Amino acid sequence: MVRKYFVQQLGLLFIVSIIIILTNIIGYNMTIKNSIIGIGILSIIALTGLTVSKFMSKFVKLPSMMYISLLGLLLASPISPIKDFIINSTSQAAFLAPTTALGAFAGISLGKDIKSFAKMGWKLVILTIFIIAGTFLGSALVAQVVLRLTGAI
Amino acid sequence: MTFIKSVVRKYWKVYVVAVVISIILDSIGTLSFNIGLGTLTILPMVFATIVGGLLGPDTLKLFDLKESKLGGSLVLVALAPFMAKMGVSAGANLSKLVEVGPALILQEFGNLATIVISLPLALLLGLKRESIGACYSINRDSNLGLTTDIYGPDAPETKGTFAVYIVGSVIGTIFMSLFVNIVASWGIFHPLALGMASGIGSGSMMSAGAGTLGTIYPEFSDQILVLGGASDMLTGITGIYIGTFIALPITTKLYKILEPKLEHFRKKKGVA
Repeated sequence: MVRKYFVQQLGLLFIVSIIIILTNIIGYNMTIKNSIIGIGILSIIALTGLTVSKFMSKFVKLPSMMYISLLGLLLASPISPIKDFIINSTSQAAFLAPTTALGAFAGISLGKDIKSFAKMGWKLVILTIFIIAGTFLGSALVAQVVLRLTGAI
Repeated sequence: MTFIKSVVRKYWKVYVVAVVISIILDSIGTLSFNIGLGTLTILPMVFATIVGGLLGPDTLKLFDLKESKLGGSLVLVALAPFMAKMGVSAGANLSKLVEVGPALILQEFGNLATIVISLPLALLLGLKRESIGACYSINRDSNLGLTTDIYGPDAPETKGTFAVYIVGSVIGTIFMSLFVNIVASWGIFHPLALGMASGIGSGSMMSAGAGTLGTIYPEFSDQILVLGGASDMLTGITGIYIGTFIALPITTKLYKILEPKLEHFRKKKGVA
């Protein structure tokens, strides 16, 4: 079960990595070698995270994105023996580069809901404004109280 | 190898179009328009989402419903290396995290306030389960990953996150610089508290907010930028955990309580 999932994700990650490597080279002027190494490492971390998550889902159900991000964090953290290698080789991969392909896939997937999005248009703008404003004010309030209590201001 | 062949056969059309879209838009790069009030920014990713969407069954009909769904299953795969990259950046900055101290960490919980404000609004505007995905967070990249992962690419919750993600990417920086001006003029918050608050989990919105604050309070401008940046980074690191364990459960619970009541209210008022 876990093995089949591993092979399946390996195949999908492989074809997706090719797009990401291409966009890295074209859009962000990376060298071919750096791009392949950087994206390759990120994909290995991703594949390991996905597989661990699949295995762990027998015991506890947690989002696989959490395993992936945690694995990346551990490998790059000060306690990791290979942190320099991981950080240097992936720092070349532009932070936003993987996301253009992601946007294209997401767009294709959302294509079947364009009508319902268009209908909600202005409502979404209002809602987004409230969400940003709420996050900002909430943080400002907590920060104000904590800074005052700790005597920083 | 045979497996890869079958994957290619199934996904080739979606894949080729995505490659073409990505290559074209990445070579164009980020677009920015000055509209007087501030700058509207359109990242290649947002542009790609819009173009991809227009090719779908609702508009230009290049893809049918089935292919459109295949796009969804690739979203999750494309997100995985990106989340790895976010994790690595977080790990590389871990020591900075210890430096910035408890005030910043506590302040992260202030981000949860948006749920109580925006969820009722979303329900009044007529959103259903979309509101859960839309209102549990600021809807930046890591949240997008999280919602897609938990609910699946076709779930209403994921659509909610996506909608706010896209709108936020386009108008977020303008709105932040305007709103920060307004809040600063109230005079109730200390400039440093505002600086911390501007780190809401989006680099561009943070820069817009902290940059504007810096011009309002020049004597604090350096500290504001440092605190804003640290808080932003922290939101990037903690966002996925706060989202999984605190924000999403709270939002779902609140939704279950509020939805029936507001539905009743909306029917009575005759709002569409």
